[in-house]
Amino acid sequence: MFKLAFRNIFRQRLRTALTLAAIITGVIAIIISGGFVEDVFVQLREATIHSRVGHVQILRSGYIEYGRREPSRYMIEQPKDVLGIVQSISHVQAVMTRVNFSGLANNGRADLPIIGEGIEPGKEARLGTATIIVAGRPLRDGDAFGAVIGEGVAAALHLHPGSFVTLMVNTQEGALNTLEYEVVGVFRTFSKEYDDRAVRISLSSAQELLFTRSVHSAVVLLDDTAATDAVTAIIKSKLEPLGYAVKPWHELADFYQKTEALYRRQFGALQAIILVMLVLSVASTINMVIYERTGEFGTLLALGLRRRQIFKLVLLENALLGLLGSLLGVVIGVALAGIISGIGIPMPPPPGSNAGYTASILLVPWVLVVATLTGALAAVMAAVLPARRASRLPVVDALRHNI
Amino acid sequence: MKNESAEAIVEARAVGKEYALGKQTVTALFNVSLMINKGEFMALAGPSGSGKSTLLNLIGCIDTPTSGRILIEGQDISGKTPDELADLRLNTLGFVFQTFNLLPVLSAWENVEYPLLQQRDVDKKTRQERVQHYLNVVGLERYAHHRPNELSGGQRQRVAIARALATRPSIVLADEPTANLDHKTGEGILRLMKDLNQKEGTTFIFSTHDARVMDMADRVIKLADGQIIV
Repeated sequence: MFKLAFRNIFRQRLRTALTLAAIITGVIAIIISGGFVEDVFVQLREATIHSRVGHVQILRSGYIEYGRREPSRYMIEQPKDVLGIVQSISHVQAVMTRVNFSGLANNGRADLPIIGEGIEPGKEARLGTATIIVAGRPLRDGDAFGAVIGEGVAAALHLHPGSFVTLMVNTQEGALNTLEYEVVGVFRTFSKEYDDRAVRISLSSAQELLFTRSVHSAVVLLDDTAATDAVTAIIKSKLEPLGYAVKPWHELADFYQKTEALYRRQFGALQAIILVMLVLSVASTINMVIYERTGEFGTLLALGLRRRQIFKLVLLENALLGLLGSLLGVVIGVALAGIISGIGIPMPPPPGSNAGYTASILLVPWVLVVATLTGALAAVMAAVLPARRASRLPVVDALRHNI
Repeated sequence: MKNESAEAIVEARAVGKEYALGKQTVTALFNVSLMINKGEFMALAGPSGSGKSTLLNLIGCIDTPTSGRILIEGQDISGKTPDELADLRLNTLGFVFQTFNLLPVLSAWENVEYPLLQQRDVDKKTRQERVQHYLNVVGLERYAHHRPNELSGGQRQRVAIARALATRPSIVLADEPTANLDHKTGEGILRLMKDLNQKEGTTFIFSTHDARVMDMADRVIKLADGQIIV
């Protein structure tokens, strides 16, 4: 039966080629679109992580819920202890501490409300690979009173590298404190919203500004994003009993989560459309082939084959055809994905961002599996009705087609 | 039912068959009764439209009568399920068609082997012996691996005969087996069938409108307008 089915496939070369072409096109479409969506996810994910968020953040528990009103009450008072515990975990590349503050930036003529961060410049440079310096230079470990500012801040206050900016904040005790900083660089991240408000200074000067020795958060950089959940679990087990909250990047990046959900929904719809179109186009060819072979099915029935066997034969032929088309589609799709990735797809800036990027086609195993299954499934689904019809033919009428 | 039909391998009792052709009803067979004994070499003769093919199809269980009953080896075939009829065709009946009807993608050997593959109780060794044997009988051992389109009309019909006989049926039905062949080849095919009828005792029933073919039959039943005229 297998042999017969296989040979029958290659009997009508043109028809088979047409059916195969339809299946191959569908499979390629799924691979390319699925690979593109996956690539968007990965790029957006890495951009999110490497802009600012990091892989895992450690905060005082309660900071996320109440920290906005009283940031000073939810601070990590012994950052060294936290660092000691986290640094020894495998996959951890660096742990950096940050102090957050909000206040006003003043250029001598105008004020701008800003969100400030005190950071460890050396370590942040390793994390912030997705941050682009558009003017000047990045912050360095020795810059006691240097500041880097977001593109939007620079534009609003007419600041450029070399100009001075005064930061005014409330200290923990409620006093007003101001310090003057020299702008050393202007940066651009993935998020325009952040760039419009952000000022980053060194951790020590931020602590001086706020009169504190504590930090708000410890950001963990990993060597592999895939290890995030495992590392998060380890840190949680060690630090949660001590009153810390441990948040992996995907809980912190609301934008990423929603974008991914949206894209996945779209991809699912696209896939369903491809499946339906495949079934329809394959069905018409199969129908034609089955009609032309009516006499042959009559012969088989006359020879004593049962209806079920005819049904199985037709289904088997098309399952083989579908599988063959899928495999060819995967081979061509993978090759095409390689070529497209080699050239690169220039993309406009995503929403809320300033920078465009180059997309490619990322080949993920599950996309290949879905594509293969869709191709094979389409052929089998398209064959069910014609197969049923072939198996129910009245033998005499079917035999008459032989003349 | 131990009566005179004990020897009868096929029995038709008052069989009628009507077709709907558009809005008209065409009577193809009318009240035909017939007995065919085991080992007969019999022809159904008549002009086209006489109902001979219809009668053959009814005996071959690929069509059902509108009225009357048909018994094959004493079993009434009316009321059998499609699967039961398929099994009957597989094990008891062999078909030889006017248009040969070989499977184009299979070689001569595979065509003969195909119905045997459907018979679960035939093991591989028996199967190969049978195929070999019947290809020898029809004189096509040298063409075993040729596809049907590489064979002449006469050779194709020989393959079809080998296929019909390989399952060891008790009845072989041949609908105009020589109509698509030239006279000499047709005569060869008929002589082959007659030989097999005598050697293996298989019952042969064939339809024809060729007088020369009728001459070779042991018994000729003539039909006209759906009725037997003797």
